[in-house]
Amino acid sequence: MTRDDIETLIARSALGDRAAFSALYVETSAKLFGICLRVLHDRAEAEEAAQEAYVKIWRYADRYRANGLSPMTWLITIARNTAIDRARKRREAQPGLDAAEAMVDATPGPEAQAISASEQGRLSACLGELDAGHSDAVRRAYLDGETYAELAARAGVPLNTMRTRLRRSLIKLKECLTR
Amino acid sequence: MTGQLPYDEGDYVLVGEYALGLLSPVAAAAFEARLVSEPDLRALYATWADDLVGLTDDIAPVVPPAKVQRRIEAELFGLATIRRAFAGWRGMGWLVGGAVAAAFTLLLVMDAELLAPDGPRAPAYTAEIMAEDGSMLILASYDAADGALLVRRERGTPPPGRVLELWLIAGDAAPVSLGVLPQTNDVRFDIVEGLRPQLDGGILAISDEPLGGSTTGAPTGAVLATGAITSL
Repeated sequence: MTRDDIETLIARSALGDRAAFSALYVETSAKLFGICLRVLHDRAEAEEAAQEAYVKIWRYADRYRANGLSPMTWLITIARNTAIDRARKRREAQPGLDAAEAMVDATPGPEAQAISASEQGRLSACLGELDAGHSDAVRRAYLDGETYAELAARAGVPLNTMRTRLRRSLIKLKECLTR
Repeated sequence: MTGQLPYDEGDYVLVGEYALGLLSPVAAAAFEARLVSEPDLRALYATWADDLVGLTDDIAPVVPPAKVQRRIEAELFGLATIRRAFAGWRGMGWLVGGAVAAAFTLLLVMDAELLAPDGPRAPAYTAEIMAEDGSMLILASYDAADGALLVRRERGTPPPGRVLELWLIAGDAAPVSLGVLPQTNDVRFDIVEGLRPQLDGGILAISDEPLGGSTTGAPTGAVLATGAITSL
């Protein structure tokens, strides 16, 4: 399934085509569910997050064109944001529990690394140019939804220090990615 | 890669922070307002989003269980999904002429506290069965520990001389009657052992039936409202 195929399925979903939406689900749900599982570390919650994400995808399909994201980026961003919102709510309800869980598979195993796409090679290389702790903070923000406060607590630095540090990392990262 | 954009380093950082979800809700809302009116900022966000999505490349795909798609369709398409479930079993005849049924849809629910405000034990599943025009609202909450489905009719009455019957639809199986709703607002249905596993991911439906309930073992009247069962 190419980028164009997925775009077509999103466009047809926006017109109310349920068969296209079903096909879109079949093509993309394993990827999106994998991401929900990675973020939430809990099957039942990941199932609910995936459900919520696809309901949003159907409802917002007509907005896809306007935002300029590639189709998989758009789908993954919706799933990631939905899962992150849940993870954060859970942490608010049960502080301390999730931080330990989030440690579990922060680093992908060799098997997972082998299936990396080429685009990610570029991101990985650029993250590799940052200090290890700094690139780790970017990963934790994206994949675990950690906030500045949580990142600061983990690194044992004041919140403002973490904010300055991460902002500098983002500038370096963007410079590297646009090189 | 992005050519000349009229943005400075501060904006690059801001967009990155937004894409990572690090902005406060207020700052994120302000940024989203800018996104609407600034196409170049949208383009900048798109490059960040495309770049960061690379962080998910290592995440192995996992096929979700079939009930996830069922629930999505139930939430989005409600009655149409129910129709399909019924259709597989005895045709759509009993729904045809259901102009009333077509006007209703399904809403999803999730209030664990609704039916067990005093109980220390939260129910395992819950469902809200509602008619689109709000004329009927029925809350259901299932306690897995003793197999009890607690049903509360908040609003809505059957047509004169008729009763409301509650059905469980699990996957493509034929609807199973859970019982007739009494005049009282609250009722408890004891779910037989064999049916209990089917509640998860199932759909509850209310149909309009003759006094005493359907005599055929299957719904005979219009489906007035439906609701997906959500696990808590």
